[in-house]
Amino acid sequence: MTEGPARMPGERAAVIWGSIATLLVVVSTIGIFLVAPEDADQGVIQRIFYFHVAIAIASLVAFAVACVAGILYLRTRNDRWDDVGEASIRIGLLFSVLVVITGSIWAKASWGTWWVWSDPRLVTYLIVVLIYAAYFVLRSSAEDDRKMRYSAIYAIAGFASVPLSFYSVRVAESFVHPVVFTSGGANMPGSMLIWFVVSQAAMLALFIALLEVDLVGRRSERALRRLALRLEGT
Amino acid sequence: MRRRQLAALVRKDLRLELRTRETIVAMVLFAIVMLAILQFGFGTRDDDLTRFVGGLMWVTLAFTAVLGVGRSYVAEREQRVLDGLLVSPVPRVVMMSAKAIAIFLYMTVVEVVVIPLVGIFFVKGPYWESIGWIAIAALLANLCIALAGTLFSGLALFTRARDLILPVLFLPALVPVVIAAAGATYSVAGGPHDMSEWRGYCLFLLAYAILFSLVSVATYDAVFDD
Repeated sequence: MTEGPARMPGERAAVIWGSIATLLVVVSTIGIFLVAPEDADQGVIQRIFYFHVAIAIASLVAFAVACVAGILYLRTRNDRWDDVGEASIRIGLLFSVLVVITGSIWAKASWGTWWVWSDPRLVTYLIVVLIYAAYFVLRSSAEDDRKMRYSAIYAIAGFASVPLSFYSVRVAESFVHPVVFTSGGANMPGSMLIWFVVSQAAMLALFIALLEVDLVGRRSERALRRLALRLEGT
Repeated sequence: MRRRQLAALVRKDLRLELRTRETIVAMVLFAIVMLAILQFGFGTRDDDLTRFVGGLMWVTLAFTAVLGVGRSYVAEREQRVLDGLLVSPVPRVVMMSAKAIAIFLYMTVVEVVVIPLVGIFFVKGPYWESIGWIAIAALLANLCIALAGTLFSGLALFTRARDLILPVLFLPALVPVVIAAAGATYSVAGGPHDMSEWRGYCLFLLAYAILFSLVSVATYDAVFDD
């Protein structure tokens, strides 16, 4: 037996990523509000973009991680990948709701209305939220092995809808939504871009930190359950 | 070998439907009732509803699809056909593909009734030409509905409250199909007869179908992996 409190695997990673995320979130918030130049066109409300777009990209990364975890679960049938998939979608869904809320605030300030149904990107993001909310409904109504298998399949199918949501923007050719990133590169000056990059790094670090914390929590819960079973046995 | 298995399974579904006529007749009636309800729901007496032709038609067809997809595994589950199929040497992907073909055919039959009916009330301009363009978009949309529907109905089959789970899983995934199919319908029937817009929406439906066929091939085997 080793001395000192026992640590769960991944606990150190959770602490490290948590610290990095905290630091980056503080730095980026200061940078966004105090250092970054004000947009000549949109004024102060444009600053929400640094959060809005960064959270949107981080949520897509979370769904991509869940999709890969789903594929790995179906290949290996290792419960660990189910944990990663569920935790990623939980965080991704939270981020997506924040994207819809921040987008809505931006819409109110820019176009005078909380919601613009003619903007396919905002609307399709709402669809993404609905798709991933259904993941938890499916999960709660299936049992054991089926629950994990169905969740993995659904995570893969759900992620297929994400590029469709973006493609639909190009099809419907909306002229409403400000397109920040085009095929020609970023549509903003360097002094803004740097704070966007910091904000993006902060959101990605936040995703990893939340994921690690969630996974450590699940491991602790399993360890406690095993311990309870052993105690019942003695 | 696989082709023969696929043909046999599709024949099984169609024969069952021809004998009972449970699903398709209910789907057609449901679609007509739904169209009437939407018509009354908009509550217009003399307004021109042509602008909403795509929406009216595809909301109706999306709900009809949920109904049909929900019914698609009833015989397998209630009469324990599924147990027999699962122990037979038929690959799961063939089993699911046969179901997708059956759903595609059910939807096509429903649309043979619904599209001309909607056309009579709403189409502006040359009737048969517009109906033809709508039909092509509808076939592409059916492909999307069949591929996604088979996957989601397979997932919902053994869950608690499966009748509720299926629409919750299936409808959000259908939204892009409804957007594109409604757009394609409007562009040739109700609006400015814009063929480039129609082509764009049809390409989107094709991309959706290709993407979901890849997902289907990758995951169909795992759905019934018991």
